[in-house]
Amino acid sequence: MERRSFLKIIAAGATIVAVNPSLIGGTLYAADGRMFKAYEKAQIVDAAGVPIKASSLEKEVTYIFNYPFNSTPCMLVNLPEPTEQEVSLKSEIGEEYLWKSGVGAKRTIVAYSAICAHQLTHPTPNDSFIKYVPKATPTMAYAKSGIIVCSSHLSAYDAGAGAKVLSGAALQPLAAVVLEVAADDTIWAVGVLGSDKFQDYFKAFKPELKEFYGGVAEAKTLVSISAKTVKLTEYSKEIIQY
Amino acid sequence: MKKLVSALALVSILAVSSQAAKQVDTRLELMKDMRTMMDAMEQIQRGGLYSSTDDMKVGVKKLQGTLKSLESENVKAILPKDQVYAYKFAQKTAQMLRMYSDDMVTSIDAGKMDNALDDYTQLLKQCTSCHIRIRNW
Repeated sequence: MERRSFLKIIAAGATIVAVNPSLIGGTLYAADGRMFKAYEKAQIVDAAGVPIKASSLEKEVTYIFNYPFNSTPCMLVNLPEPTEQEVSLKSEIGEEYLWKSGVGAKRTIVAYSAICAHQLTHPTPNDSFIKYVPKATPTMAYAKSGIIVCSSHLSAYDAGAGAKVLSGAALQPLAAVVLEVAADDTIWAVGVLGSDKFQDYFKAFKPELKEFYGGVAEAKTLVSISAKTVKLTEYSKEIIQY
Repeated sequence: MKKLVSALALVSILAVSSQAAKQVDTRLELMKDMRTMMDAMEQIQRGGLYSSTDDMKVGVKKLQGTLKSLESENVKAILPKDQVYAYKFAQKTAQMLRMYSDDMVTSIDAGKMDNALDDYTQLLKQCTSCHIRIRNW
């Protein structure tokens, strides 16, 4: 093959990927890259620092890890069924984006910011009012379960459809954490899709960030290399769910 | 025998009325605390707008004096019947009010008035957050 033809092929390939980054396999990605922020890749590990395998995640259990900042909690859930695909979502100011699907062999693994899009309720070491509610557990927030519920003001989000709002006062979906499952079945967080509430959170919870992280500056440190992940029942002393 | 039964009945009635009175008293006490909280918030706001840190601190003290009622299980007594289950949410709100009001005093003492006024905004948000839930806005 001549060099010119080879270079043309490479350029064409790069263009295709740039226009449609979802061709990079296994990622949750907006089709045109909008509303996506790449952060440093962090491997999902357990409390001992051992990488967690996608196939080992218990079904319908809320796991918590901090990403992309040291203090911004996220939920990781292995849903009972494959998620929807190519879900069109809108932020509260009308920005449109596309949530591709869950990851893992059966497209059941999802991750979202655990900071409620309504009034920023989030898990702390003391308590949590927001979690994934398993299918068999009733909730006052919505007619069916298998969803994410914030029990502060009963906002309900569809965990299998990009955390779009099902009911309640929230005006936008939870920001989605973009995950990759590597060939060795380990999980990596690589970015955030959608409209997040991180800056509002830093502003609103300064005293709490001082208490748990030593200060706002420390709380705003970006996560790198790995993100320790534990079950919500281990993260928060008390879990309140209505 | 008849006298004994009548006496027992009277004692029971008195006991029940006294219990009911106690419950009503608790509810009135807690409602009074709510009015005090509103006064406290007004005082903090007034202090903030008239640049009086003393007023703000007095307002904080007044506010914190009412938080015990929200923090205790007595809060169930003031919640509407269909919201009693949410008493943990009310308790959490009380914790947040204490956190922001403590921080307000710290900020005032450090001369960081922007932070102190921001804490006022957060205090008000906590009040409205709970009222949205409990008063069904």
